[in-house]
Amino acid sequence: MTATPDGSASPDGSPSLAGRAGRPVVVALLGNPNTGKSTLFSALAGIPTRIGNYPGVTVEEKLGRFSHRGQSIELIDLPGTYSLVPKSPDEQVAVDVLYGRLAGVPTPDCVVVVADATNLERNLYLATQALALGLPTVVALTLSDVADDKGITIDSAELGRRLACPVVRVVAPTRAGIDALGDAVLSVMQSPRQPPQGLDAHLSAVDPRHEPAAREAIARYAWIEQLLSGVVHRQPPASRPLGERIDDVLTHRLWGTLVFAATMLAMFSSIFWLATPLMDGISSGMDWVSGLAESLLPEGAIRSLVVNGVLAGVGGVVVFVPQIAMLFLFVAILEGCGYLSRAAFLMDRLLCSVGLGGKSFIPLLSSFACAIPGIMAARTIENPRDRLLTILVAPLMSCSARLPVYLLLCGAFVPNVAVGVSWLRLPALVLAGMYAVGVATAALVALLLSQTIFRGPPQPFVMELPGWRWPRWPVVLERVREAVWSFLQNAGTLIVAVSIVVWALSSYPHNDAVIDADVAARREVLSARLAGLKADDPDQTDVAEELAALDTDDGLAAARRGAAQRHSALGWMGRLVEPLVKPLGWDWRLGCAAIASFPAREVVLGTLAVIYNLGDIDPGEEEGGTALVRRLRAATWDGTNRKVFTLPVALSIMVFFALCAQCASTLVVIGRETSSWLWPVVTFTYMTVLAWLGAFATYQIGTWMGG
Amino acid sequence: MSLEQVAIGSTARVADVSGSDSTSLRLLEMGLTPGVNVRVVGTAPLGGPIELELRGYRLSIRRHEAARVAIAK
Repeated sequence: MTATPDGSASPDGSPSLAGRAGRPVVVALLGNPNTGKSTLFSALAGIPTRIGNYPGVTVEEKLGRFSHRGQSIELIDLPGTYSLVPKSPDEQVAVDVLYGRLAGVPTPDCVVVVADATNLERNLYLATQALALGLPTVVALTLSDVADDKGITIDSAELGRRLACPVVRVVAPTRAGIDALGDAVLSVMQSPRQPPQGLDAHLSAVDPRHEPAAREAIARYAWIEQLLSGVVHRQPPASRPLGERIDDVLTHRLWGTLVFAATMLAMFSSIFWLATPLMDGISSGMDWVSGLAESLLPEGAIRSLVVNGVLAGVGGVVVFVPQIAMLFLFVAILEGCGYLSRAAFLMDRLLCSVGLGGKSFIPLLSSFACAIPGIMAARTIENPRDRLLTILVAPLMSCSARLPVYLLLCGAFVPNVAVGVSWLRLPALVLAGMYAVGVATAALVALLLSQTIFRGPPQPFVMELPGWRWPRWPVVLERVREAVWSFLQNAGTLIVAVSIVVWALSSYPHNDAVIDADVAARREVLSARLAGLKADDPDQTDVAEELAALDTDDGLAAARRGAAQRHSALGWMGRLVEPLVKPLGWDWRLGCAAIASFPAREVVLGTLAVIYNLGDIDPGEEEGGTALVRRLRAATWDGTNRKVFTLPVALSIMVFFALCAQCASTLVVIGRETSSWLWPVVTFTYMTVLAWLGAFATYQIGTWMGG
Repeated sequence: MSLEQVAIGSTARVADVSGSDSTSLRLLEMGLTPGVNVRVVGTAPLGGPIELELRGYRLSIRRHEAARVAIAK
């Protein structure tokens, strides 16, 4: 079969479209989801000239530009839709663009309907609806090579005659038929045709008891069956197609679930472990750059701004790139080969019970590594309600940034005793408990929200399970590139800004006299305490050590740094929130650390190290961690000998960090993905309230149980 | 009898789709129109959605949606 636009004269040469001199022709790409529309877009226009959101909605807008036989063409990739009777914001946008009702988006001059050649019957549903709009229309038969393999032959010339529009067979990855498609677009615009009639004849045959929309749907399929009779021939394959045999296993109740669990485990551990060396590499690179900046810039405010504000912020942004790239690589491959829909099919019941849907599974699972790629992966959820709910609860999954906090506090303050059996230790149990707290809270929040604010008519879960096929690598790589780029471009700048603000808060106001007085006072407190302690008191060495450190250069610098932070705006804010954090068992220093960790949770340990006069150590390293643990163990409430860090306090800190939204990057990404500042505010508020309540209950119950 | 009750592996002919909301319309738009033959391919665990084959492609719908699809005896 050759690609011929239904027998009409092919517009070879250079057609000049009357009245369009200089203005590009606007062509809209319309089609069902999973029809190879993205591949066709790339084949026609290459890399998109613009990716963004349509005005006022979170539906992705993708524009491209190319030139065919001297005619400049602007290509609009419409969201995938099954019907022109919209049921979701995506579909509404597609319809609004076609009718020219969307401000800022040009009305299309021509529509290319992308139809999957392996599934023509259902794809013609949208195609025949589009033809009725009366715009110049071309039907592109994609996945024609796959149809050949399946023994499906389509008489595209005859189909073109019956539909009264050019029908062009394309194989987008090899560019076969792409030129013919361009020719057909130019030709159909020069000689507009009457849309095909035929639906009306079938309407009268439908039971009049049905609603008008239902009658139209039934009649349309009857018409399509007539249109396709004699046009599509299926050669029964010699053996059962491979795709069906794969499906037998992969959507099987038992085997499918096992394969799914293995796939998810492999994906999750790759994101967790494969991305780690890359992230470490980025961290080392940033450390090197910071070291360079430190050696080049004179000591002072500028150096501090560059190193602790700007570079720390940039480092905090690029460190997420490996995880985002890795997750989107997996998601794009799974989506490209058709497994994503199968995964949603298998997990739907489980997530339904908490008011979500099957497609929420992968975004939520990947949030255990990091909420940012997880929230971005929620793009694969078409249903806007499910997508928003998933985004709102994803940050409750314990991400890898919480792990250092859990590990340090569990190791230092949870007694290492066996629970029941010798291999099950209490710290491990507490660690697992923190993950469980996040999951259980997410389930409750999702359930509660789906029953209240997000209550509405049940969303249909009518999901196509697309045929198995190899993922198209250009499409996969384009998705990875796009995810990384949109994160860096849109979220990156804001995250750096937040980091600079927090740096300023912890550095100013700066008063040397106050700092000197603070260090002197600390020296006196330590001397007095040491004098009051018996020689065999366990605190004796720690206090003596801290006192001795004040006489070394490094120790004094660290003490001055700590004093500067305690007397900065941040310290003032810490004292301001002390009444709020006292019921959690925290003193104002812990309040400071919680505020300073707003850009990222893991910062809390570094901030505690500075506050407790250890200077810039790395609590993630064994040495730094041990030093911090010893300093924390010795810490007392101001003016007393009462210890700050007890088991209930350690637990209360862990529960707080399990549930809080102390991650500016996550909030910025939520803002970007929902195109609204409302949802980051909602997320921050509800998570902080829950974190406070959780920490409060933990501390109070822990103290009560402890006696 | 509804599509929900059809045994895995068997084929049934759709008689009607009840209801007049957007879910019913979507089921019709996806090709579950009266007269079409549907094969029940499989089912997800824990009483999850069912997998159907119709008009040369595969579709999954939840059980309560399948209950709306009446099948011919």
